[in-house]
Amino acid sequence: MSLKGKRILIAKPGLDGHDVGAKIIALALRDAGADVIYTGLRKSPDYIARVAVDEDVDAVGLSMLSGSHKEIVADTVQCLEALDAADIKIFVGGTIPTDDHAGLIAAGVCGIYTAEMTIDDVLAAIDKELAA
Amino acid sequence: MSKGSRNPRREMSRALSRVANATVAETLETQAELPEQVLYRIGVTGAPGAGKSTLISRLAARRVERGAKVAVVAIDPTSPVSQGSILGDRIRMDAVSDDPNIFIRSIPSRRAHDGLADNTADLLWAMEGHGFDEVIVETVGVGQAEYSVRAIVDTVVLVLLPESGDAVQAMKAGLLEMADIYVVNKADLPGAELMAGDIAATAARQAAPEINGGDGWVPPVLQTSSRDAASFAALDAAIEAHRAWRQNRIDHDAVRRARSRYQVQGLIGRRAEELLETMPDADLDRSPKEIYEALLQQLATAPGEGET
Repeated sequence: MSLKGKRILIAKPGLDGHDVGAKIIALALRDAGADVIYTGLRKSPDYIARVAVDEDVDAVGLSMLSGSHKEIVADTVQCLEALDAADIKIFVGGTIPTDDHAGLIAAGVCGIYTAEMTIDDVLAAIDKELAA
Repeated sequence: MSKGSRNPRREMSRALSRVANATVAETLETQAELPEQVLYRIGVTGAPGAGKSTLISRLAARRVERGAKVAVVAIDPTSPVSQGSILGDRIRMDAVSDDPNIFIRSIPSRRAHDGLADNTADLLWAMEGHGFDEVIVETVGVGQAEYSVRAIVDTVVLVLLPESGDAVQAMKAGLLEMADIYVVNKADLPGAELMAGDIAATAARQAAPEINGGDGWVPPVLQTSSRDAASFAALDAAIEAHRAWRQNRIDHDAVRRARSRYQVQGLIGRRAEELLETMPDADLDRSPKEIYEALLQQLATAPGEGET
């Protein structure tokens, strides 16, 4: 597996301030060969979408522990569309109840990676998604 | 080739990706002619932690206020182990990330070790014609980046910290005599005044014709602090002063030739790497002289020809 040459934005939307998970994923992606851009804490979907466009990333990873993932995903999808960037993929991680998974997939998310998964499984899933 | 986007910003962003992902053959296809260079290029270099990213965000904000559209290219190091990278400069540029007149692109240094990325010259080339007025290039914070950045930008700003005695030592040895403007950043820390004085003494000598072809420009030594907005206005003014001075005093043909030299050197280097990476082990087992000669032969064939 190699994510070499892939550009990935790891973003922290919403109001929770815990970015250990986001940073672990960012470092794991780098170690898998990807170029990773990290936004820092508490960014709006609009901000995230604009950074995704300027940086021309292949995917945006949203790390969310605040419970507002449904709204944030919907807004991010909309903001990317408004910038003519609907082709940029979105995956999510963090505290995402199983009951919400189907809804997020329907909203346009390509993968949901929670704490139960190993890093290697997450990387393999992202790799598969970006190779498609 | 992707289709044009209805979002002009995305258009430029995609154009940059195409250059970033291009083989040498593909890059050459876009470089058949000399474009008109419109973008004014400002290089910001200095050690890691000197505050380059924050300084750039403050500077970009000033320049936008004066009506300029500013692009920023921030280069971060590529891991030599995984080839991956964490591109973190833009976190420090948060204050201006929202400004529609500022475009920020983070790029990995890839194979280069000179503070730039191995395709920086090509990326700057690709930025022409997208409605921006100037580009600020942030180098990777490594020791002697100023040599390479000097080759491809119009104004070089070197950012130093108070009490970075090592930097002063290096200047004495002649390593840091390439900048057009010196900045002692975080000037609210003790030692800034002393540091600025030390540098000013050395910098004044830069203007002398017998020292590295001294062109007569006396580099100003400024002190900046993120707590002092006026200090960035002074930096902005110093860049404008250098720009105006340069317009009439610099040999523009010589500059263009130096840039071409750097760019073509980069292309040849990358092409050689492409070929060496695919060279069979049996060929690599030969003597360096034989490998070199074989490589030269392959280089003589235009890239793209005779390949599958």
